Amino acid sequence: MRATIDPQKDYYQVLGVTQDASIEEIKAAFRALARRYHPDSATGDAEQFRLVQEAYDVLRDPAQRLAYDRQRASLGLSSDAPLQIKSWVSASVLPALESEQLLYVMAEISPKSAQGTGEQPLNLALVIDRSTSMRGTRMENVKLAIHEFIDALKPEDRLAVIAFSDRAEVIVPSVRGTEKRRLHAAISRLVPSGGTEIYQGLMTALEEVRRYVGGRYVSHVILMTDGRTYGDEELSLIEAKRAAAQGIGISALGIGEDWNDLFLDALAQAGHGLSQYISAPSQLQRLLQQHLRGLSSVIARNLDLFVKPAEGMVLRSIYRVRPHIGPLPLPEGGAIALGHLSDESIGVLLELVVQPEPPLGEHRILRFEVEALCGNDLKRTRLRHDVKVTFTTGEVPPQEVPARLLNTLARWSVYRLQEKAWRFLEKGDTREATTLLQSAATRLFDMGQRELARVAMLEADRIDQQGAPSSRGRKQLRYGTRSLAISPADDKLRS
Amino acid sequence: MSDESKGTAIICPACGAENLPGTLFCTECGIYLPSGGPLRTEPLPDEQEGATSRRWVQESTLGVNQLVGITIEVLESGRRVPLALEEGKEIFIGRLDAVHGIFPELDLTNDGGLGHGVSRRHARIHTKNGVCFLEDMDSTNGTYLEDERLTPYLPYELHDGDIITLGTMRLRVRLHKRAA
Repeated sequence: MRATIDPQKDYYQVLGVTQDASIEEIKAAFRALARRYHPDSATGDAEQFRLVQEAYDVLRDPAQRLAYDRQRASLGLSSDAPLQIKSWVSASVLPALESEQLLYVMAEISPKSAQGTGEQPLNLALVIDRSTSMRGTRMENVKLAIHEFIDALKPEDRLAVIAFSDRAEVIVPSVRGTEKRRLHAAISRLVPSGGTEIYQGLMTALEEVRRYVGGRYVSHVILMTDGRTYGDEELSLIEAKRAAAQGIGISALGIGEDWNDLFLDALAQAGHGLSQYISAPSQLQRLLQQHLRGLSSVIARNLDLFVKPAEGMVLRSIYRVRPHIGPLPLPEGGAIALGHLSDESIGVLLELVVQPEPPLGEHRILRFEVEALCGNDLKRTRLRHDVKVTFTTGEVPPQEVPARLLNTLARWSVYRLQEKAWRFLEKGDTREATTLLQSAATRLFDMGQRELARVAMLEADRIDQQGAPSSRGRKQLRYGTRSLAISPADDKLRS
Repeated sequence: MSDESKGTAIICPACGAENLPGTLFCTECGIYLPSGGPLRTEPLPDEQEGATSRRWVQESTLGVNQLVGITIEVLESGRRVPLALEEGKEIFIGRLDAVHGIFPELDLTNDGGLGHGVSRRHARIHTKNGVCFLEDMDSTNGTYLEDERLTPYLPYELHDGDIITLGTMRLRVRLHKRAA
């Protein structure tokens, strides 16, 4: 008898075997499970028994198994992708209301196993602001951090160093990680002078990185600056987008208080990288090392996320919540680029507005699809994940919001409060900005973030009295709240 | 149609903003909303449902009393700590941790707080319109009022003689009212 094939079911999981299991393993697994679930046995379960049999019927026949694997792969359900999607909803059973209601959905994309695909070779460029304002300890700290960065390079990595002020200069062209001495020497000779023109530095760095882009290299540019660039922001953003399309990421580290946070945020977002605020010298060293580790542990590249709400569901907002909190553009049918996935998972949070009178029963409300380049051969892999909830007119049972989601929401709402405050401030509404920052302070205090709460209070007072925040306080809050991203330990908080 | 299916908007108790049903954090002020009322009732283990269910308090239900102080008695050691109550002032309960800048008004370190599972930042007490509230601050082992676990970050009304349990440490509350 030919077995029916249902690609929606994960037969491998039913039998508890991996996708590359041998026929012997499959047989053994089947026998054990059949004994356990046989209706005549004490642990019998007719439904499960039937499922085990169905799985076995498909997987024991090589032709059927191949057909099944193909069908699953084409549906994006194949389990050989090195990444997985998990989701959480604020309620899994909802009342069928005559009005709109809000549902929170969080999804996390993470590596399937703790082990990545091994260390990836890197193709990097460091872009260093050498303007006059960097003079003194600031430049010395940057140099120190870069020396450590160079020491951590692997022989197969590549690094170029570009310094810029009014002009850009290639201090060291892209060389292998074996040429540490040359890199160290060039860094030591760096002397600050001139102004800050980011575009020139960025262009020169991209030229260096482009020489080796492709293959297994993870290509990335890290920009370090302490000042504002004038008039070349737009050009820089266009370049960053072009680079991202070629698979070159850009991160931006702001040192001190005088740089333009909105510009560096936009630059990093366009470049699928991170923007970060460096307020202490030790932080720069730590961040650079983190960057290096993150980039070399990349397990999937150029992630594209597709969010497909079902009929009757309206996407109100979408945010990145892991590793850092930040806005994402509403997809409008297209893909949201999430950059590379390293050993740290990527989380997104959605506000979904359920339209009035939803259909009763269990329904798919949302579908996530992720496309990425995986493995050493950078194979294009597609992954799918459905989110389902039940609508009922009956009694809705008490449900706990999953701790991981609730903790994330708490942090995300604080981040949003302060971002909203800056927007009101920009419009000149100091009263609203003050109120919002005060609210943020209260919430931060509740979360045990005493230091950030204090900064928020202080800036609220400043805005109230002087109409403007301090540049330092604003950056502390913006970058502090976005780093409140949830850690795995938070799952245990409410146990 | 029952009331529940109409799904009225959630009015934020802190700022008055209207939020869609299902909202968990007020979009205006970020406060944690106990969305949907009965939908959010915590299951009560080993107790009859409803009978003792403690609901968080809406501001509109508050009366105006003349509270001036609170004494908290640590039942195990018998230590009594009188604290002043002031409108808008908060009393933090927990364990002192100078390194992380945590200085609770009521420090339970010397009462064996750690062994009893008291978090460094465990709970807080504040007064509003003459009513005294207890709020759990997402502590590891929870805050119980009269043996009922509190939902973190929601204010629960405190009454004279109430027993508060932090982890496994029991405290008795004495409220002092001004003679009218």
